[in-house]
Amino acid sequence: MRLALYVTCLVDLMRPSVGFAALRLLESAGCAVVVPEGQTCCGQPAWSAGNKVLAADLAKKAIAELEGYDYVVIPSGSCTDQIRNVYPQLFAADAHWGPRSRAIAERTYELTTFLADVLKLPSALAEFDGSVTYHDSCKGLRGLGIKRQPRELLMKVNGLSLKEMTDCEECCGFGGAFSVKFGDVSTRIVDRKCDSIAAAGADAVVGGDLGCLMNIEGRLRRRGDETTRVLHIAEVLAGGGDS
Amino acid sequence: MSAVKHSQAMHFQARAGEKVRNPVLQRALQKAKPLFVGKRAKGVAALADDGLDFELLRTTCEGIRNRTLADLDVWLDIFEERAKATGAEVLWARDGDEVSQLVVDIARRHGVTKAAKSKSMLSEEAHLNEALAAAGIRPVETDLGEYIVQLAGETPSHIIAPAVHKTIEEVEALFAKEHGRPIETRTSADIPAMTQEARAVLRQHFLTAEMGISGANFLIAETGTAALVTNEGNGRMVTTLPKVHVVVTGIEKIVPTLEDFATLMRLLPRSATGQSISNYVSLLTGTKQPGDQDGPDKTVFILVDNGRANLLGSAYQDMLRCIRCGACMNHCPVYFSLGGHAYGWVYPGPMGSVLTPLYTGIENALDLPHASTGCNQCGSVCPVRIPLPTLMHRLREEQVERGLRPWSERLALKTWAWIAGKPLLYRWLTRRAARYLSWLADGEGRIRILGLAPEWTAGRDLPVAGGQTFHELYAARKRA
Repeated sequence: MRLALYVTCLVDLMRPSVGFAALRLLESAGCAVVVPEGQTCCGQPAWSAGNKVLAADLAKKAIAELEGYDYVVIPSGSCTDQIRNVYPQLFAADAHWGPRSRAIAERTYELTTFLADVLKLPSALAEFDGSVTYHDSCKGLRGLGIKRQPRELLMKVNGLSLKEMTDCEECCGFGGAFSVKFGDVSTRIVDRKCDSIAAAGADAVVGGDLGCLMNIEGRLRRRGDETTRVLHIAEVLAGGGDS
Repeated sequence: MSAVKHSQAMHFQARAGEKVRNPVLQRALQKAKPLFVGKRAKGVAALADDGLDFELLRTTCEGIRNRTLADLDVWLDIFEERAKATGAEVLWARDGDEVSQLVVDIARRHGVTKAAKSKSMLSEEAHLNEALAAAGIRPVETDLGEYIVQLAGETPSHIIAPAVHKTIEEVEALFAKEHGRPIETRTSADIPAMTQEARAVLRQHFLTAEMGISGANFLIAETGTAALVTNEGNGRMVTTLPKVHVVVTGIEKIVPTLEDFATLMRLLPRSATGQSISNYVSLLTGTKQPGDQDGPDKTVFILVDNGRANLLGSAYQDMLRCIRCGACMNHCPVYFSLGGHAYGWVYPGPMGSVLTPLYTGIENALDLPHASTGCNQCGSVCPVRIPLPTLMHRLREEQVERGLRPWSERLALKTWAWIAGKPLLYRWLTRRAARYLSWLADGEGRIRILGLAPEWTAGRDLPVAGGQTFHELYAARKRA
């Protein structure tokens, strides 16, 4: 099985360890992983801002790069949602790009969905000494139905216990450009998320989208919480959470 | 264009900041949200006890609303004919100004000096209270929440809980002042007593108002009936005691049959307050007949367009399905950080972020379609499956197409897309950016102030990795 790993722009720039953790997970499961060289951005920022033309330009570029693999795997629900749900919409009336975007959409998976549902990873994964609470990212949860998969995988990590927070499905207030345009509103929302995390009393908060995690970590630290670790699920599953 | 004149939606961003920093408001909102969310969840879960499937019911209700909208003109004709047959008068208004004109005319014809009002969002659209007051007619809001808001000289901040933004201390201070008594210390245990106090005042108004004004949750074409769904008895008082009853409502509120109404009623109260049915459901048909104990001598329906007809057949038609339950705002993280007033017009929250630009002009509410994190909690709770995030997104696209976005945003996106289209340049720039960010970070790997996104770092520390990009490290690993 030959698959393309799509490393999101946030992972590339802000936290490369997430990309390497995803790579390790997929390779140790026996996949031949390629990181296509030309990949940059899936176009979601342009799309969210309402700019269809720029979003379509970047989508075409991504489609061309990601064709020819059995699967495309992305350590982010948000970028996966863009490719799976938005690309076919962008090219719905396009005879050339329509079929190509639909073909890519069908083969594109968010990392935990791919591990749990396609690879059906059977046995114990890594070690993690402590408790975690899982934040469900909006695009993954409501756009792709990711809920069971990350929890199923976390339960396979030796030593890890899951402490669910109340309102784990509540938005963290990131929303990409939203957190820049309406910084103070976003801060108010992430404060509520931080309260839920604090009340859960776990050693780490784990999620599948780096955007949410940066937002949460940034607020936790500003509030003076220096101990709750903030980890991408790939890092926990690949054993990088303890490094 | 009275709507545009009164809309404050242009000031969303500034108002949002104000609301976030208002501790009293934040306390009120913090209390209300879990109540709304919890009650709806229970109400939806309880459907199963009646052998009903929520998703199936949603589909049915969506279908009823879509079928109605597909032949809206026909159902409106049927409604007019049947309502007239019961002795009611049916009038049509193009906009808010016409609504006010019509109501003032009716009031003058019947020598009205005071009008008792039951909650009607359309009268807010029309600024009817101002128009009545200007004509020397006193409008009295009788829904408890609206009564409070009117005393405070404010507008509702929620479509079903107009005073949700107020704390009990604020209400107590208002009541003491308006009812002429000293302020007392109040707890939630005192709410029944405070309600009684308002009731005593309102009772006099019910008995002396010559005109009652209400909205309608639905208009039923089959019987020419207005349906009113409330939890307070005021709706019945307003619609049956005064000699004249005026119903002011939007043309999209129509449903074909009583059966359709009954089906929608399975979802409306559950979505709004979690109740299987509200305390009062009034079906008002016609006027007082010989031998009837009560009811108005005259009933007038004013059916209002005010921008609705423009949505028919447009990319935004789905919005007309809205049954005004408030579930979208009750589940919206942005709404519950701000309350309704920040949105600047009659309808707040996700539904307002779509309706306000459509009814008052896209150029007059540029921020609203962006006032969403895209979390889609609104879309996932909407009982009639209105794709609210999709509609907000469509409005964003329209802003871009019409060149209404600020130049800085356009430039930033264009530059980003241009760079992302050239992988080599992109790699080089992201490498530089990674180094720069790491240089900006303090000893703990955090940036406390980032000039590029000051709003972001005003509330958070930006965590930064080691100064090298993934692609850079990966290439090095492959070479090794």
